[in-house]
Amino acid sequence: MINKVFPKISLNIPYLKLILLLAISGSAMAQGHGPLYGLQTPTLAKGGVDLNVAGMSLSTETETSYMLRYLFSYGITEDLQINLTTPTMIERLGDAPRTRGNSNMPANGDIEASLWYRFFSNAFGVGKRFESTAIVGVSAPTDDVRGQANVGNSVHAAISTGYASRTWYGWIGGGYQYYFEKGGEQLGDLPYASAVVGYRPNIFMGDYPKPDWRIFIESLAEFPGDNKFEGQMDFTDSRSTKILVGPSFLGLYGAWGISFGAMFPVVQDLTLGAVKERYRLAINLSYWL
Amino acid sequence: MRNIFRIMMIGLFGIGTASGQITKVDQEVYGMDCAPCAYGLERGLKKMDGLQEVRVSLNDGKAYMGLAAENGLKLRSIQEEVKKNGFSAKKAEVTLIGNATKEDGQWYIETANERFSVSQDTPTALLQKLTVGTASISGTVQDEEDDNLSGQWSIVLTKIE
Repeated sequence: MINKVFPKISLNIPYLKLILLLAISGSAMAQGHGPLYGLQTPTLAKGGVDLNVAGMSLSTETETSYMLRYLFSYGITEDLQINLTTPTMIERLGDAPRTRGNSNMPANGDIEASLWYRFFSNAFGVGKRFESTAIVGVSAPTDDVRGQANVGNSVHAAISTGYASRTWYGWIGGGYQYYFEKGGEQLGDLPYASAVVGYRPNIFMGDYPKPDWRIFIESLAEFPGDNKFEGQMDFTDSRSTKILVGPSFLGLYGAWGISFGAMFPVVQDLTLGAVKERYRLAINLSYWL
Repeated sequence: MRNIFRIMMIGLFGIGTASGQITKVDQEVYGMDCAPCAYGLERGLKKMDGLQEVRVSLNDGKAYMGLAAENGLKLRSIQEEVKKNGFSAKKAEVTLIGNATKEDGQWYIETANERFSVSQDTPTALLQKLTVGTASISGTVQDEEDDNLSGQWSIVLTKIE
């Protein structure tokens, strides 16, 4: 598909070096200190700022996308956080599956503003807490057509709950993204759910400010609806089912964090015209100001 | 020796007033699980006037603070900073110099801007050492609910200088 907003940039070694340089020297970072793909709960401190830069790739049977994404987050209170994320598309998919990149980053070329509200928090021990967070967001596309359908603005809502400690982590959540009609066409909606288990081995239990690492096993279940076109039969009940599983790793040192991981489909029960995936990759750098 | 000097100075200039200050706080923090959490809390505490040294331990779940010789810092401010970072402030081990008073059989120790009610859980031997006037004490301040930061604390004394 022709990129109508950003120039198409071929992915070559010098460009990869530039990405790496940006990642290392930039003042932007990742997604927080939770999982890479699944919904999570932590919010920033009151007045806290988190900057992220992420590289994402999604591969289907016929093509592969590459994208850089930037995320700015600000803690209005210790329970209320605002986020703004923008993409730089390097290589778009001609036929993109309906999915999200992670809990506050779209996988496609959308610009998204979101609000996180941690409505429940119970810190009951050293390093231990239960908490629940609600997310609402609005998105505007940076492309005109996606998967042969006009792309409209969209709204996203999700809820997640989880447990964190110094050793074990777990989150479950679910969300829904709805695209508005544009020019008589409408992208399919996306209900989804995620579950994540995390573990920090003993060898990474060094006290602050020593670095620590944790590993997550992440899973996503997505049920994307089909696109709709004017004059077409209503395919409201027609949905694909995708289940993806994969590992991710998170390393933290002082104000810095790096996470990377992959997701692989284990179930793809697709409707006619839905896109079969091979894998998703992501790397994310974070800096807390 | 330093405490004796402080007591002498307070004795000279502060007897009969509510002068005095906290000099050391080991604040228990619940819910802090990661390096950026500790970094954020440490940075927030370091910005507070009156704090001379700050060390945060994830494994202990504590913030260890040494306060400047002259400070007007409240325990309440420290606990509010903990809360602002999204965690719960629990018990605190404090060392302070304050003015001890006794009202209706209840001992109180006051700094310039906070009042500590001496708990009945304090060992009797220590309570018997307490006298009206300037006191340099250490003790454990009981956990207060996050939304009930009244500025008045209950303290179990562990040491009287």
